[in-house]
Amino acid sequence: MSVLIDSILAILAVYLALQCLLAPRLTQTVFIFFAFGLALALAWVRLGAVDVAITEAAIASGFLGVLFLDALRDFSFTAPNKRENLEAVHDPLSRNDTKSLLLPRLALWLGLGLFLLIALEAVWKIPDGGGLTAAAEALLPESGVEHPVTAVLLNFRAYDTWLEIGVILLGLLAIFAVGGIKLYRKPGVAADDPLLRQVILFFTPVLFLFGAFLLYFGKTGPGGAFQAAVLWGAIGILLHLGGRPVFSVIPRWLGQLLLTVGLVFFLVLGFLLMAGGGALFEYPPAHAGVLILIVETLAAISIAAALTAIFANLNQMKKEEPNEIESTN
Amino acid sequence: MKDLPTSLFPALLVGLPVLFATLSLFFRTRGKALVGLTGCLLTAGLSLIAFVEVTQRGTVIHILGGWEPPLGILLRMDSLAAVFIGMTALVGVFISLYAWRYFRAQEATTGGFPLFWPLWLFLWAGLNGLFLSNDLFNLFVTIEVIGICAVALAVLSGKSGALFAGLRYLLAAITGSMAYLFGVALLYGSTGTLDLGLLGQVLEPGTTTTFALLVITLGLMIKMAGFPFHFWLPPAHSSALAPVSALLSALVVKGAFYILLRLWMEVFGVSLTYAAGQLIGLAGAVAVIWGSWQAFMQTSLKLIVAHSSVAQLGYLLMIFPLLILAPGVTAGSADWLSSAWTAGVYQVMSHAFAKASFFLSAGIIIMALGHDRIESLRDLVGHMRITALAIGIAGVSLIGLPPSGGFIAKWMLLKGIFLSGQWWWAPVVLGGSLLTAGYVFMLLRLAFAPAREKEPFRPVPKSLEVCALLLALGSFLIVLPADYLIQFLESSEIFGSGIESIVEGGADGND
Repeated sequence: MSVLIDSILAILAVYLALQCLLAPRLTQTVFIFFAFGLALALAWVRLGAVDVAITEAAIASGFLGVLFLDALRDFSFTAPNKRENLEAVHDPLSRNDTKSLLLPRLALWLGLGLFLLIALEAVWKIPDGGGLTAAAEALLPESGVEHPVTAVLLNFRAYDTWLEIGVILLGLLAIFAVGGIKLYRKPGVAADDPLLRQVILFFTPVLFLFGAFLLYFGKTGPGGAFQAAVLWGAIGILLHLGGRPVFSVIPRWLGQLLLTVGLVFFLVLGFLLMAGGGALFEYPPAHAGVLILIVETLAAISIAAALTAIFANLNQMKKEEPNEIESTN
Repeated sequence: MKDLPTSLFPALLVGLPVLFATLSLFFRTRGKALVGLTGCLLTAGLSLIAFVEVTQRGTVIHILGGWEPPLGILLRMDSLAAVFIGMTALVGVFISLYAWRYFRAQEATTGGFPLFWPLWLFLWAGLNGLFLSNDLFNLFVTIEVIGICAVALAVLSGKSGALFAGLRYLLAAITGSMAYLFGVALLYGSTGTLDLGLLGQVLEPGTTTTFALLVITLGLMIKMAGFPFHFWLPPAHSSALAPVSALLSALVVKGAFYILLRLWMEVFGVSLTYAAGQLIGLAGAVAVIWGSWQAFMQTSLKLIVAHSSVAQLGYLLMIFPLLILAPGVTAGSADWLSSAWTAGVYQVMSHAFAKASFFLSAGIIIMALGHDRIESLRDLVGHMRITALAIGIAGVSLIGLPPSGGFIAKWMLLKGIFLSGQWWWAPVVLGGSLLTAGYVFMLLRLAFAPAREKEPFRPVPKSLEVCALLLALGSFLIVLPADYLIQFLESSEIFGSGIESIVEGGADGND
């Protein structure tokens, strides 16, 4: 039975990936991408990596999907008359006029196929190295948490996680670099759509509570800062869509504090531990549990703020295009 | 490795720049620049102190979180890492000073690009982290940090050309990262460890190892713009702002080379064949000729300098065939290994100084002229003596004329080539130098030619010219402590090591 489920999932994932690439319209591509992310998440569950599954579903499928949808909407706004062209790009029929490219394309496909075959062989022949699961389990009592994945992320390899939190902040800075800093603007008009208002009213507390639960549950089971952050970030996105952009309402310094507090607190804590005679991120075992929870909470806040800011900034960047047709909005 | 003396410097070298980067986010334009510059100066100072510490105590380590490898991550600062960190500090501090003045001068028209500072500090932290890392996955994270910073910096000007080039750069960088990560996954799956030292001991030859070597090498070649993956470099480096071009060309691409060198020497010894070394050397040789020729054909200064980077990076790849010994040769009898290593390290350093200076000079010229078409360089000597001098000195180092750092690099490379009997590389080194001389002298000829119009150059702050000149001089001054530096580098385990090649099993993929 389990073999059957696994095979179906494997075929489904590859099928959806191919469909995603070959879909004639961008809209279809985006929706198939959603489905592809969920299939991958299910595959992670089957592989026993529930943490990865939640992250995959939340970030890769959910958050990326939202960004894609936003981009799609902007395409149709900025160039309504070019819409046909845009979607024809993916139409396989329009490629026929490029016969001269047939040979290079064939070579590319052959090369990729060969590469894939060798890759499969290499993966197939992986000797069993054992991994570090046993080592992580053995040291779990000293780590301050009961879930090995959390122990690895927040304690054994806290340095990597700290840098990754920095990477998320850098993603936001990169968007600023492309579009200039336009985040802090006056609030937009509140949404007058009653349905949207009800959705926001209902989902904000639910998302907040569920995020907090995932955060705290990370101590003993699958969950943690990154997963919680996506749910909290979803609150920010909902509020933004409802005409209450968070970063325009709160003072500038508070926004910056929210964005950086996770990274900075983590680092300052590490420095303090170093001043106390230990190494960077070396928690005293007696207080490790509490410290990790504080670090995770602040990290979740910063990541959620960064995700909200990324969405808000991309969303506003497009609205400032001079050729924007407001009436279609 | 766990018994080596512990030090706090490795942790501080990564933490301090990040602290100042986040701090600078709280300030507006002027404040960002001031906090950023302070952070740069402090990081540079710290790097130099750490360098001195390594000269005194030898290799130092920092066991992060107190968890020893294979579970935890260990930062290791040996003499090779110390030299790279010191180089980053010296080049970085001059570029920072230049950037401060450069953006200040253009603040009224451009807004002063305040985001440069947090991004550059994050980039610096990433580079330091990369040089210090001793962990395959941690290296991936530092590559990510560096990649995102580099792309964001490259598009900072906001011009459409820079955005196009930046998108290309981003796609190339992501492809490279993914290929590298695939290799990491394969290695972790087959050995259960990520620590470089342990990996080197337990890695067994086989299909998986060879394939991991192939994808990791491919990924890093894309990152360091090795031929034939150099396509993204000239547009990205030439369309960025001047201080950014200098950072990207002088420092960022060296990161990928550093990992490639470490992994080939410390980890993949079991899978490397003589043919693999020849192949990557061939890629380097083609890059030297092709890049120099392309540079010779360009008509705008920044494109010349960017194409020249492709060529100069090619020289770095050419040391690999010398480090992998032919079957039957033992490391003890191979007396050219030290020369090859010296060539590599000096090529990295002299190129970093000379190319940073070149790009900064290009920035000055763009500031003075509004563009960088080379026919407008006429009478540069008459109007901007210091910049002309900087271009001349940096150019001489790129060509490899004595007594520059570039000369030591190319001389040692030739020495290694002849001692090892691989004479077929020698024409490439000479040809590359001749072509380099071609485009450098073309620039200098124009600089001395009489002007066609009156007062073509607008005045430019002197301090900018001085920064560029000091960097150019740096590419000569690194020659003075050469003996001492080589002696210091030899205290590193990896420096001067070679790989005794195995007879069969192939790493003969197409790099």
